[in-house]
Amino acid sequence: MTNEAIIQLKDIDVTFHNKGQTVTAVKNVSLTVERGDIYGVVGYSGAGKSTLVRVINRLQRPTAGTVEVNGQDILALKPKELRVARTKIGMIFQHFNLMASRTIADNVGYPLKGGDLSHEERQQKVAHLLDLVGLTEKAADYPAQLSGGQKQRVAIARALANDPEILISDEATSALDPKTTSSILELLKRLNRELGLTVVLITHEMEAVKEICNKVAVMDDGEIIERGDLVTIFSRPEKPLTQDFINTATQVDQAREKIFKQARTLGLDDHHRLVQLQYVGASTDAPLITELYKRYGVVSNILYGNVEILQDTPLGNLIVVMTGDPDKLTAAWQYCQDAGITVTHLQPTDPEVA
Amino acid sequence: MNFIAKYFPNAVTMQDEFVQATGETLYMTFVTAVVAGIIGMAIGVGLIVTQPGGILENRVVYNILDKIVNLCRSIPFVILLAVIAPLTRLIVGTAIGTTAAIVPLVIGSAPFYARQIQNALSEVDRGVIEAAESVGSGPIAIIFRVYLKEGLPDIIRSSVLTLISLIDLTAMAGAIGGGGLGNLAINVGYSRFENDVTIAAMLIILVLVFAIQLIGDLWARKVDHTA
Repeated sequence: MTNEAIIQLKDIDVTFHNKGQTVTAVKNVSLTVERGDIYGVVGYSGAGKSTLVRVINRLQRPTAGTVEVNGQDILALKPKELRVARTKIGMIFQHFNLMASRTIADNVGYPLKGGDLSHEERQQKVAHLLDLVGLTEKAADYPAQLSGGQKQRVAIARALANDPEILISDEATSALDPKTTSSILELLKRLNRELGLTVVLITHEMEAVKEICNKVAVMDDGEIIERGDLVTIFSRPEKPLTQDFINTATQVDQAREKIFKQARTLGLDDHHRLVQLQYVGASTDAPLITELYKRYGVVSNILYGNVEILQDTPLGNLIVVMTGDPDKLTAAWQYCQDAGITVTHLQPTDPEVA
Repeated sequence: MNFIAKYFPNAVTMQDEFVQATGETLYMTFVTAVVAGIIGMAIGVGLIVTQPGGILENRVVYNILDKIVNLCRSIPFVILLAVIAPLTRLIVGTAIGTTAAIVPLVIGSAPFYARQIQNALSEVDRGVIEAAESVGSGPIAIIFRVYLKEGLPDIIRSSVLTLISLIDLTAMAGAIGGGGLGNLAINVGYSRFENDVTIAAMLIILVLVFAIQLIGDLWARKVDHTA
């Protein structure tokens, strides 16, 4: 994987004027996507993610800023040049946006119409694309006859018709059930691996990002509030919103809530501490719980455990009740931190977490 | 034939007139449909692409087209016939007769059709247009390969509606000198108290309308793949 920037957005502002009201959808955002990235842009609806990525292929002209894709200044292109540039930037949408009046094969072949390919070459290409997304036998069907996941596969095949180097996925899995979502994400990952496709994935579901992205940016109110590689963001989220997204994705939130509801039954006191342990990579492998007992006589009762494998890096979350003498507990605490584990003391009475 | 002779005593003696009148009605309908169809389609597409948020957004053009359509649609057809007689004379050379009737018919039906087309095309999903833009389609490709293709079932339905209202208009134009079945029904049937002629003319028009409706419905269903 080279570190060459394929998309460079600099100081992008997008402002809408509507009936005397001015709405700033994107505020001073800069974003660099490197070739081969699967770059996730996460945020709640209305955060400006869709507007931001529409700037990449100029479906949305920014009010200010510069857009460079593949070394081309997108904002300087004439309409005809822009259309050529767009053929190299595929896009898929939440509602698939297939043409109901065309068969699946015609939908996939649509971008090739009026191009240089002969009728036969076009048919071959369409057949190849349908094979790529696993829908060969649906070629003669119409979109209305397909399921949501199949429709999105057709949309992906259509987006790939002109051999783009970039694929923008605008909430492409948001209308799909979890299982279908996984299969679509799996397909995107495969295309990324096999075709070297750079993917920009917009979503409000951190789960989607977790499954395939190598980098992620979190957007809120038109701004990117946090960004970085997936493992870093997941292991050390700084902004509360990012933590929110991650806790939802890893389900630590739900676990915490449940545990807090049962807090009284845990009998917490000076000798019992409710602790969340977070660890990344190699430290996962260390037999931590055993170590704590052997060294400090601290018994850890596991209430919740979860390990995510992100980009081949394990990321673990444990919620335990540690039992032992107060000074031993403090020593054990220190030991964990020295081992590179993030330790958080959970207090059910804390109004912030309750 | 006895039945016809008994209930349509006058009409049965006027077979040639009926054939000619039906021919005239079809002629007026057909020529107007082609001319008004092209004009109406062009204006309808123009309205869709120049409207706010359209692919060729242009406030000035949109407002001009919109006002023209509204203006033409506000004039009652019977008055339009009289008002534009000078224009008709200028184009056709005469203000009377079947061919002359085509001018007011076009002006009367093209704006109506334009509005119908605009409505039909506004049903085309904005997301599909965006998808076409995202693969590099230009305005011309989007109009012909997306709007007119995706909107076809609705375009057919609107065309049927327009054709039927056009037959209605030809009857009105016929009554004041345009010929056709309207002329026969009013100037012969009604004026001479030969009611059977009026009814016969009406029945033929009904058959025409039903035939158009039936063909249109079948065709629209054939090209509609949304369900």
